[in-house]
Amino acid sequence: MARRALMTSRHPVRWFGVAFILLWSLFPLYWVVNVSFQTDAEVGSKPAHYLPPHPTLANYKALLSGAGDIPDQVRQGTFNIVVECTVSTVITVVVATLAAYAFARMTFRGRDLLFYGVLATMALPAYATLIPLYRLMSTAGLVNTYTGIILVYVSGFLPLATWIMHNYMVSLPVALEEAASVDGASRMQVLTRIVLPLAMPGVVSTAIITFLFAWGQFLFPLVLSSDISTQPLTVVITALQGRHEVPYALLSAAGVLAITVPAAIAVALNRYVVNGLLAGSVK
Amino acid sequence: MTAGTVAARRRRPDLLPYLLVAPLALVIVGLAVVPAVYSLVQAFFRVQPLDPPTRFNGFDNFRSLAHNSAVLGSLGNTIAYTVIGMALTTVLGIGMALALQQRFRGRSIVIAVLILPWALPGVVEGIVWSGIWDANVGLFNSALTSFHLVDQYQVFLGSNRWLTILLIEIVQVWQITPLSALLVLAALQNIPDELYEASALDGCSAWSRFVRITLPLARPGIAVAMVQALILTLNVFDQPYVLNGAAETGASLTMQTYFISFQNLDFGAGYALSLLITLATLLLSWVVVRLVYRKVEF
Repeated sequence: MARRALMTSRHPVRWFGVAFILLWSLFPLYWVVNVSFQTDAEVGSKPAHYLPPHPTLANYKALLSGAGDIPDQVRQGTFNIVVECTVSTVITVVVATLAAYAFARMTFRGRDLLFYGVLATMALPAYATLIPLYRLMSTAGLVNTYTGIILVYVSGFLPLATWIMHNYMVSLPVALEEAASVDGASRMQVLTRIVLPLAMPGVVSTAIITFLFAWGQFLFPLVLSSDISTQPLTVVITALQGRHEVPYALLSAAGVLAITVPAAIAVALNRYVVNGLLAGSVK
Repeated sequence: MTAGTVAARRRRPDLLPYLLVAPLALVIVGLAVVPAVYSLVQAFFRVQPLDPPTRFNGFDNFRSLAHNSAVLGSLGNTIAYTVIGMALTTVLGIGMALALQQRFRGRSIVIAVLILPWALPGVVEGIVWSGIWDANVGLFNSALTSFHLVDQYQVFLGSNRWLTILLIEIVQVWQITPLSALLVLAALQNIPDELYEASALDGCSAWSRFVRITLPLARPGIAVAMVQALILTLNVFDQPYVLNGAAETGASLTMQTYFISFQNLDFGAGYALSLLITLATLLLSWVVVRLVYRKVEF
């Protein structure tokens, strides 16, 4: 009785909360999209246009196919961010999966020390190593290279990725793996044929979260890339915003371009994002 | 398999686990542990690449920070960011989690929308919100004038220090609250329905259910959420950098480490400040865990 009453009760308070979540999350995004479909003159009108009066794709066309300094930089920044995020995600997931398999399924000297040592680096704020990493990369000649940025991303995201993969593998039953090794499979075969297929949701979660973290980076790539050759879109757009002559409508369109990929991933693969975040944070 | 190969295998240490963890160990030691230790040591050195030599200088870097008015101003700003950010994130996170506690049709869609701001780059979110707070084209100004709350467009960012900090921190709260809500929600899902049923039979009000059951039993989730909010707000960079630049009305401590190191090229002082921020982050995280975390078993 009580349970039914509780479960079916239509709390107006709850619906207020749900409405708040939707408005709070979506309205700022609606606003930037709205502005990106307007001309400069329309953006400047007081009061503002709550809908684009004459929706136009001019800003997007200018950025994607137009000629000139700003479109060139935005296109190069888009290329750079895709390269840096994809490569660092692949490396992070492979390295984390191999290590997590050893941590979850094998005993070896120094295992706990290494495992908890890696996790302990997560307690440090990300920016604690900003200056030494810059100086290291600078000494190694890796400033303004993809390698430099990717190495820093991989080192930053590996602890969380290893932790998520470890938790996922520990939750899998060992019986299948034992059966396979009784049948003569080597431990690497057990990993590739048995563990990986079962752990695929964990791999996808880890990859998505790593990719989203990489896409959001700003200060590290700002420091590690002084010219457009390796600057990701986040750095390029922020530089445009700092140059006050760049029209706000154009800047908004560039912002929309920069959030389209992570927004699509977060919405379409939502289940993996949520599972990965909870596997990574709770415990 | 002959007895000989078994014996040979026993003698040889098992190398496979070491091969599997070697890449991880190499990257973490080389790019996290060594830089962290290096940074800790260099904080006590004079490191100015444009004005060598590099030499030990004791606590001079820390003394120079204590006399740097920009750093002291940013300390106040950062405390304000952290207090406002943690309060708003915790309250909003618990509220959002409560709204999602019971299953309803479409809840997974609401969770997908909830996560959205967490997934986007902080600097781009700064640009998104500059369209709201802007002095010339901002939505906030437009709405206030439409409702006749102000006569003409106002400059919100960069004029009043505390208003600037509040408005910038709202942008960061927008980004980090989704994860807090999710963590609290996960804790709420562990609370057995029987507890709520029993309290309903006893005639408890919704408020007393919240205070006596929900809040205490959600403490593990709330603690983790508060720690993540603490780490992110204490180290805030992207939002003030984009929305207010280097202006003293909103610059954070992490921004000062960037300016000191990469504009003034005084790496020693940069190391010292980043060491202090790291220590403060670790210490305050420990305090939050001690105050908020309680082990809960069902």
